[in-house]
Amino acid sequence: MSEHTKPLPRITPDNQPFWDALREGELVLPYCAACGKPHLPPGPVCPFCFADRLEWRAASGRGTVSTWTVVHKEWFPAFAAEIPYNVVQVEFEEGPRLTAKVVGLANDWLRVGLPVVIDFDETREGITLPRFRPAP
Amino acid sequence: MAYSIRDQTAIVGIGQSEFGRFLPDSQLRLGANALKAALDDAGLTRADVDGVAIHLGWPLGVDYDRVAETYGLDLRWVSQTWLHGRFVTSAIQQAAMAVACGLANVVACVTAISFTRERQILGGPGDAEGTREDGGTHGESPPYGLTAPAGGAALAMQRYMALYGATSAELAAVPIAFRKHALKSPHAVMKKPLTLAEHQASRMVVDPLRLYDCCLITDGAAVVLVASAERARDLKQAPVYIAGMQGMRSGRDEFIFAPRGLGINQQPAMRSRPDERDLAVYRMAGIDRKDVAGLYTYDAFSPVVLFVLERFGFCGPGEAASWVQNGRIELGGELPMNTSGGLLSEAHVGGWNSILEIVRQLRGAAGERQIANARHLQWGTAWGDSVIFRSSR
Repeated sequence: MSEHTKPLPRITPDNQPFWDALREGELVLPYCAACGKPHLPPGPVCPFCFADRLEWRAASGRGTVSTWTVVHKEWFPAFAAEIPYNVVQVEFEEGPRLTAKVVGLANDWLRVGLPVVIDFDETREGITLPRFRPAP
Repeated sequence: MAYSIRDQTAIVGIGQSEFGRFLPDSQLRLGANALKAALDDAGLTRADVDGVAIHLGWPLGVDYDRVAETYGLDLRWVSQTWLHGRFVTSAIQQAAMAVACGLANVVACVTAISFTRERQILGGPGDAEGTREDGGTHGESPPYGLTAPAGGAALAMQRYMALYGATSAELAAVPIAFRKHALKSPHAVMKKPLTLAEHQASRMVVDPLRLYDCCLITDGAAVVLVASAERARDLKQAPVYIAGMQGMRSGRDEFIFAPRGLGINQQPAMRSRPDERDLAVYRMAGIDRKDVAGLYTYDAFSPVVLFVLERFGFCGPGEAASWVQNGRIELGGELPMNTSGGLLSEAHVGGWNSILEIVRQLRGAAGERQIANARHLQWGTAWGDSVIFRSSR
């Protein structure tokens, strides 16, 4: 991997529908056809009841910041210009959590419990990277 | 009743290389120094070693076959874990099980690592672990620039602070305590005291972790020799028995750098006190938690020291940050931890510097760091695995 390019998400047979939907500006989650629970990260089976059949359904894109950090050290040269930058975990209303970042808010205002909504405006080599904005 | 491994095996020898930064020696040279010292300590020869357990193998440390070839060993049992500090307990447990099951007579647990020479693979573009599919196993998320294990510890501590009102100044009690211990260890890399003001003024690395909340990057090797208790009693040193063990926890309720129920990654956000299964190590050893004279842990980042205290019930959920104040985890305190300085202040030898310290303590050979009347010491981690060692003195 080049140190001057940012890593891309690894797209696999299990998470392909998730990334395909993001490209269309939609968030979908894998729901278990048997027990009805959604999960992340997308897997080949339901982690709760081990059933095989999953159904991809649209999700709200709304959630709250469950935890966050701000990176001050340069580990990865491709991110050096953005230091200090935030990374958050967001708990969707539907339950599963996703790691991403928050934009449209100074890092000083990050807090656990912050209501956020998904945004599809950042793309990297044709892949839409989900990120979040403070909920209006 | 199931077979019990309680007191069936023991540590019979320990050895180490010099610990330092930018040491000129190769990893294999450091490992040879440590193995020679351990054999001498035990009164054994190279020919007695017929098993090797490698911690911190590929892609950073030494691999078992190179170790065997380089040192001229003739092995009939090997085990190796890849690059993760979390596997200290696994290596000891596998060594003890191999001996107890008759697969080997003497197992050398070998850790030899030149972190300063290989540091480009830690959290950067060369970190195959942190940048693999879906990120690494510490909550790394490479597309968003979270590419080092410290990030996972930061995510856990940030939520812990929000839930319980813990502060960075409270967290500082951990590295300050371990620095005091390091100043009493002749092997320690850090030689000056650490004050609260210095901790609070140190640069932020990954919020809320400051520089002194993150472990050292050093070079060094450590070897621990495990044999049967029967064999141990005929050897040079007083045996240090492996009295009880429990394995690493894993599942959706777990995140490597968080107590159960903290709500990191996909963990349910519901804390609880440890149950019987969480505390099996004490039952196997036949002791109570209050019999533990000191606790040793893999202190890669200061938050995990708080979390191990809650994991094993030394205090309740959310109480550890206040519990560690006022010298409680220092030598002379209620529960001394990492009495040679740990990864935070002695050296980062994959945690094995603390295993060596446990053995010295239980032999009564820890000098000015000696915990009076130490009969049982516990190695335990924030991810739930543990070994209790028993003195034969």
